[in-house]
Amino acid sequence: MQQGPVIRLDGVTKTYQAGAPPALADLSLDVAAGEVAAVMGPSGSGKSTLLNLIAGLDRPTAGTITVAGRRIDNLSESGLARFRARHVGIIFQFFNLLDDLTVQDNVLLPAQLAGASRRTARARARELLEQMGIERHRDDYPARLSGGQRQRVAIARALVNSPDLLLADEPTGALDTATGLAIGRLLQQLNAGGQTLVLVTHDPALAERYAARTVRLLDGRLATAGVPA
Amino acid sequence: MSWPWTHWLGPVRTATGGVLRHKVQAVAIGLVVLVSTASATLGLALLAASNTPFQHAFGAQDGAHVTVTVNTARASAADLAATRHLGGVTAAAGPFAESVVQTEYGGQPFGQMALAGRASAGGPVDDVVLNAGHWPDGPGQVVLDGSPGGGGPGLGSTLTVTGVPGAPKLIVVGFGNSVTSTADGWVTPGEITRLLAPGVPPSAQMLYRFTHAASYGEVRADVAEVSRALPPGAVTGAASWLAAELQATSNGAIMEPFVVAFALIGLAMAVLIVGNVVSGAVVAGYQRIGVLKSIGLTPAQVVLAYLSRVGWPALAGCLAGVVAGNVLAIPVLHNSAGAYGVGSQQVPWWASVVAPAGMFALVLLAGFGPALRAGRLSAAEAIAAGRAPRAGRGYAAHRLAARLRLPRPAGLGLAAPFARPARTAVTLAAIAFGATAVIFAFGLNSSLSRAAASQTHSATVPVRVEQSGPGGGPGQMPSAAQDAAVAAALRAQPGTLHEVAVYGNGVKVPGIAGTVNAWAFGGDAAWTGYGIIAGHWYDAPGEVDVNTAFLDQSGLAVGDTATVYTGTGPHAQVTVRVAGEVFDPDSQARMFGSTQTLPGIGTPANLQLYDVALRPGVSTAAYVQAVNGALGGRSPWQATSQHDGGQFYSIASGLVGLLAIMVAVAAGLGVLNTVLMTTRDRVHDLGVFKALGMRPGQVLTMVVCSIAVPAVVGAAIAAPAAVALNTATVHAMAGTAHTGIPAGFTQVFPPSRLALLSLAAVAIAVAGALLPASWAARARPAVALHAE
Repeated sequence: MQQGPVIRLDGVTKTYQAGAPPALADLSLDVAAGEVAAVMGPSGSGKSTLLNLIAGLDRPTAGTITVAGRRIDNLSESGLARFRARHVGIIFQFFNLLDDLTVQDNVLLPAQLAGASRRTARARARELLEQMGIERHRDDYPARLSGGQRQRVAIARALVNSPDLLLADEPTGALDTATGLAIGRLLQQLNAGGQTLVLVTHDPALAERYAARTVRLLDGRLATAGVPA
Repeated sequence: MSWPWTHWLGPVRTATGGVLRHKVQAVAIGLVVLVSTASATLGLALLAASNTPFQHAFGAQDGAHVTVTVNTARASAADLAATRHLGGVTAAAGPFAESVVQTEYGGQPFGQMALAGRASAGGPVDDVVLNAGHWPDGPGQVVLDGSPGGGGPGLGSTLTVTGVPGAPKLIVVGFGNSVTSTADGWVTPGEITRLLAPGVPPSAQMLYRFTHAASYGEVRADVAEVSRALPPGAVTGAASWLAAELQATSNGAIMEPFVVAFALIGLAMAVLIVGNVVSGAVVAGYQRIGVLKSIGLTPAQVVLAYLSRVGWPALAGCLAGVVAGNVLAIPVLHNSAGAYGVGSQQVPWWASVVAPAGMFALVLLAGFGPALRAGRLSAAEAIAAGRAPRAGRGYAAHRLAARLRLPRPAGLGLAAPFARPARTAVTLAAIAFGATAVIFAFGLNSSLSRAAASQTHSATVPVRVEQSGPGGGPGQMPSAAQDAAVAAALRAQPGTLHEVAVYGNGVKVPGIAGTVNAWAFGGDAAWTGYGIIAGHWYDAPGEVDVNTAFLDQSGLAVGDTATVYTGTGPHAQVTVRVAGEVFDPDSQARMFGSTQTLPGIGTPANLQLYDVALRPGVSTAAYVQAVNGALGGRSPWQATSQHDGGQFYSIASGLVGLLAIMVAVAAGLGVLNTVLMTTRDRVHDLGVFKALGMRPGQVLTMVVCSIAVPAVVGAAIAAPAAVALNTATVHAMAGTAHTGIPAGFTQVFPPSRLALLSLAAVAIAVAGALLPASWAARARPAVALHAE
């Protein structure tokens, strides 16, 4: 199910300090709707910078970024926040759940920030918690959950606003092998349902197993971009 | 060559990591310590200022024990110079030519003034402190005793001297203060001759300090010694420093309770805020401590490293704070000196040492506990302890907030304080202290205004007609026709609402050692507005009201009867019943009744003044002008408008306001620092919120709401605390002024006003939280997510 690009980067450069080598240099990249793209590369290659720029967590020094049909490199901070809430879901390596909120409240939070109605948000959260198999933990706090369960909560939270794009930063990096495989399968199922997914990973096996395309970065530049062998 | 301890300190220096690498934390500590040291310096200075201010000023200004007025027609300059060497005289200044003149300001009588001709403010005795402007350096210039403002002349104003050929004009070029009020104003020595009225003998003042002048008896002996040394009749008057001390001490004592209250609030808040910020900074560094321990630092090195980490910015804050405190003290002590009636007050040297040293010790003490705990923790424990608030804290609050029908950022903010209860408690205390100070200041200001209005009757008796015209003065009793003209003029004025003749004279009451000042009203006087402390205003023959001093000295109570001896004649002795106690602060006993009750007082010879109330909308100035026009220029009677409050009340109100602002600013900075610390502690969560789509406005809402609960609780604490503090302070002030007070003086907080004033807590909290909130709102999500 290939459609037009959900992500389009055109000549994107990101420099953190004047005079220092750029973290990303003149990068151009498209990711089609419904595609799973894996971003790989050694430490310092620019993977996280790329993810931050696509998510609207940071701004490029040069170039344009278009996500879900909207240019985001020139948005205000409020505009970027609205964009993140409505169009992007982010899954972090270390889950980044809020320890003082229950599982359900963690999942509800992005919907509430986006202004969704209470009833709609609750219904969506419950549906996602059931889909992730953690509905019975909805009133628990994250600290009481296993790593795999926490990552499921994080995925539910990322999906609560039905984003156009799901960004996953080392989603299995903090999990044991079996749990990592389970999370991988979950992401695969989501993609099968049409969810566009960008995976940042060190794990060639993960990329090979789940991604239709792998983008390799080296020193902030595109090394190769192609379908895994 | 290196010493053994340099090997030991080397890792400590490395571990400290350089203060400059922790700029925000260093600035926060430095700023809080600066503000706290400044307020502590000011607090100590105020406490010192309230401690025997007259004695300090008298010592600093080499005040005159005795001011002797001499008729220079009878004593030569050589005679006067010889008195400098009399036994017991330790210092002398003068002779300074003197003239007592009548003045006008703005076309209105400004009263009688004793002007002295002095070439300079300084001298071996009575070193006049110049509060504003400069000393007269030419003809037509005058320096007035006191401070500018309060509705009187200011710098550059012109006074006209009446009753002197040419009606010379004097431009006010300065304001000074003589601690014993040796003159009402000073001019150049040459000026005095043109200010002398025809036929008035020339006079001069000599100022002396004596070896023994501690009691009225000793002062009398000193004056007698000077009189004996001069030709007979040369000494025409002598003023003792003890009278000035009595007056100043009475004002100063009234000031003391609220000055002490503000000083203690400021000091307590400084201690709280510094303790909170420093211990917070050390706890925030636990993770780093853990890392350092894991690479081999000993517990002692860890303790020293963390004490030095807070110590350097604290030391800078202490030094800057003591400078700021001294600078801030200038206007505050200027006001305080004005209220105490002394020329100037300085920050005592020990306050500039004790405040920074104490604050630095407090910083080290506040840091020592957490640093010691860090030193004892294992590396792993330290890393874990530094990461986040203790798990479980505030969870219930978050759960509850999630159920509230509030915007989610508001709910998250409201629940946030429960994660760090100790820090929240200190923030709450800072807000409560600040709001208490603000509410207390408003209340005290209202109480003082009511006391001022009640004492001067400016609201109820806007116009008073007194004997101060050209035919007035001692020994020049107005004629019956002139008295009758006043009553007729007042009744003829359409603006007159009430008018009453007031008679006064001294009476004797058994049980009271001195004379009682008795005032008899020649008609209804309930409208004159005396504040009733107990009982009621007299409304029947035989009833009188008295002031607190009367009851204290006589041992009588409201409802008791007293025998009053008014002198000779058929009504020499009357029995009166004390109907009420009225607010009339004075150490001398006073009595108020009708001429019917006190017939011996209500005689033409005792007619002192007329009190007048005006109909609504009538201009006081126009009324006064009309009455004076009707009385004519030759009448000894003259109408004047009553002004609201005296200089003491206006200065005290200014001082209250200034102190309240300072305490509120310090409280706001305390809030700023705790919110800043909390925001930095949770910067990673902030990054998550932003990554999930929290907008800058929502971040601002969340952070500001995080201070809402402490603000509301702070307001709930501050409101009753301020009411209680105001009541206690006003009663303490009244006690030092030897008077009770009407209940209305402390009932200055109607519920609606108290509710409105309680918003001060919210204002302090929001003002303190806005800066860190806007910082949080602006923070880049990618940076926040990766911040430690």
